Amino acid sequence: MMTETQLLVWLRGPALQVAIAIFVVGVAVRLLEVLVLGRKADLAEARGSAVAGGMRTILMRSFPDRATLQRAAFTEITGYIFHIGFFVTLLFYAPHILLFNSALGISWPALPTPVIDATAVVTIITLVAVLIHRLTNRVMRFLSRFQDYLVWLLTILPVVTGYIAFHRIGVTPPILIAIHIISVELFLIVFPFTKLMHAFTLFMSRYYNGAIAGYRGVKS
Amino acid sequence: MSASLERGIHAFKEAIDGPVASFFSSCVHCGLCAHACLFYTETGDPKYTPIHKLEPLRRVWKQEYTFWGRYARAFGLSKPVTDEELGEWETLVYDSCTMCGRCSMVCPVGNDIAYMIRRTREGMAAAGHAPEGLIGASRRAVTIGSPMGVKLPALEAQIRHLEQEAGLTIPVDLEGADYMCLLSSMEIMNFPEYIGAIARIFKQANVSWTISSEAFEATNSGIQIGVSEIAAELVQRVVDAAEKLQVKAVISPECGHAYMAIRWEGPNLIGKPFSFQVMHIMEVLDQLREEGRLKTTGKEKQRLTYHDPCQIARRGGVLEQPRNLLNIVAEDFVEMPEAGKMNWCCGAGGGVSANERADELRLRVFNRKKSQLDAVRAEGLVTACSNCRIYLEEGLEEYHMDIPVTGLTETIAEHLVEEGEGGER
Amino acid sequence: MTQISNEAEFRHALAGLDADRQRAVAALFVKHVLPLCDDERIAPVTDVAAREDVPEDKLAEALRTARTTTTDCHARCGAAGDWSAQAGYFVARAAVAALTPAGQMPGGPAWQAAMASRMAKTCEAIVTGDDSLGRESEEQYRILVDFLNS
Repeated sequence: MMTETQLLVWLRGPALQVAIAIFVVGVAVRLLEVLVLGRKADLAEARGSAVAGGMRTILMRSFPDRATLQRAAFTEITGYIFHIGFFVTLLFYAPHILLFNSALGISWPALPTPVIDATAVVTIITLVAVLIHRLTNRVMRFLSRFQDYLVWLLTILPVVTGYIAFHRIGVTPPILIAIHIISVELFLIVFPFTKLMHAFTLFMSRYYNGAIAGYRGVKS
Repeated sequence: MSASLERGIHAFKEAIDGPVASFFSSCVHCGLCAHACLFYTETGDPKYTPIHKLEPLRRVWKQEYTFWGRYARAFGLSKPVTDEELGEWETLVYDSCTMCGRCSMVCPVGNDIAYMIRRTREGMAAAGHAPEGLIGASRRAVTIGSPMGVKLPALEAQIRHLEQEAGLTIPVDLEGADYMCLLSSMEIMNFPEYIGAIARIFKQANVSWTISSEAFEATNSGIQIGVSEIAAELVQRVVDAAEKLQVKAVISPECGHAYMAIRWEGPNLIGKPFSFQVMHIMEVLDQLREEGRLKTTGKEKQRLTYHDPCQIARRGGVLEQPRNLLNIVAEDFVEMPEAGKMNWCCGAGGGVSANERADELRLRVFNRKKSQLDAVRAEGLVTACSNCRIYLEEGLEEYHMDIPVTGLTETIAEHLVEEGEGGER
Repeated sequence: MTQISNEAEFRHALAGLDADRQRAVAALFVKHVLPLCDDERIAPVTDVAAREDVPEDKLAEALRTARTTTTDCHARCGAAGDWSAQAGYFVARAAVAALTPAGQMPGGPAWQAAMASRMAKTCEAIVTGDDSLGRESEEQYRILVDFLNS
């Protein structure tokens, strides 16, 4: 029977390495699957620059047009909140930055822990709201599959377990940390097999979109 | 060519490229595309969510081009696309989509859904699941040269009468002319004043132009139904004629998908660049305006607004020119809300108007255009696509709105300074 | 009084008419090609256009009927075209032009009615293959001259 410490050592060591390996290889395979299909050169006479259009859309597609923002305000706003919240808690919490530093050798300033704490709470609440929306909104319910709900769970778990671990609610601190690490490893392992890939492929999609439009002289 | 599920699946496979794979990989089921699609906004039916219309293509992509998908298929764990399903999807792909591309502008991960619908139609058509009206139109286009069966003698009669009645010259098969003008069957049949209008404008501006008796049709039914071989053949006819007459440019008339077909898809369909330019008539007119060769007099006094044909504006890139042109002949030109690249589709493009089964739905979703017009309170509506034009008229009729619809080229022509004429009218 | 022998004179003379007179002469143009239209709605609305002192609402109602007729009669996109039906479509369009208030038609209602009537005639020529039917424009010049002289 493993001690708590042994469990943590294993989770932080071999288990994490495997998870990251699956993540990296999986993402690479998914990206290659797209790139290998390629795109035929456009033989029509260009009106504008495809490259400029592509780069532009990568950036500008993050900002919705006003009418759509009004029509789908809930989706747009909650989408922003939980994405930003997720990344803030991931990237600007001091212990996380130490982890990145030991792995990648780079470091950056942290945000005060109370700020991270509040951000986590907001993110969790927003994610719950997003789930309710997905379950009750006509379009969302119609579109959603098992994977959408699985991904939701895998996304909220690190935030929730991290929050619980920080506040030491419940079991012993080492176990809470272990649970948090497991949730992260699950996230990493399942990532390449799901729509979470959008984190990488959206750059390609937005680029293609903007390039096709830019070639024709339209800012998309 | 006989249709079958096998051919359909093969066509789907051929239609999947890097962008398609990237788009499907990126979709997070956020549902935002639904809010950009008039077929959803005006019906509230989630099955019209744009990305959902692509489900058959998505499954083929997953099962053919992803490691996990192929693996699952090998173990019998995936759901193959069935003929029955394609039958179900026919109305989604053809009746409730005009390939207007508004969804493509709105998707947060950048998916160009209209691009994918175009490709999905290749599979649908090959599997035999395309609407009757489009099949007929394509057949007529290939065998007669016009989807509506307009033959050369009919066009010649129109031309002859225009020449006699209005004292215009409409040069046919003039070798070495600068521009070769295409005409859509819709224009020849419903709005032949377009021919008279360009003749008058070109006469005044001293433009050297011609119509080819061998390739006068602009409409490309192949694009609408989604059969690239047909689309390519129709484009090749135009290319052959343009090369034979050695023109500098081919002018695409007031028809949306015709412009998309010849300007943007054309060279890619036939596999080589054109040796001539392709311009929309509005681009030509705007160029004339810039060069000071367009002499007009008087202005329309009524409050006018402009409907952007999707394939010309958002998907085609001709956005500023109609505004420049309207501003010289309209005193009170106002933009409707979301005008320009985000304008709403008339609901009839991309083959929807050729599909009788889609009539009821098309008229229902016209409510979106109605809302825009209500907001702008225009007295007149101008557009630059004869398909949009006639179906805007139908929609306005349906909703008891008394707003006349006119074509932009015709409006310009009505304000030309004629020889021997001058001053305000 | 007046002689009209070419397009420029024709247009100029029409442009010089006030709204009521434009409508009256437009109705005459439509009446001249009425036999080409199978739809029974057009004859009565043309009569409305031809009358003097018609109340606004009656004109508007007739215009609506004429418009409905054009949308019912037009050639559907992608469908096999029928030139004799198209003749009827153009007669209906001529009626629409006749009944449209003056400010709303580029070129004026009478001019547009004349053009649409000519197109109806052209459709007939396409169907019969007979081009010797004579020029509608000349008939219209005659109609206008008679109208101006009366």
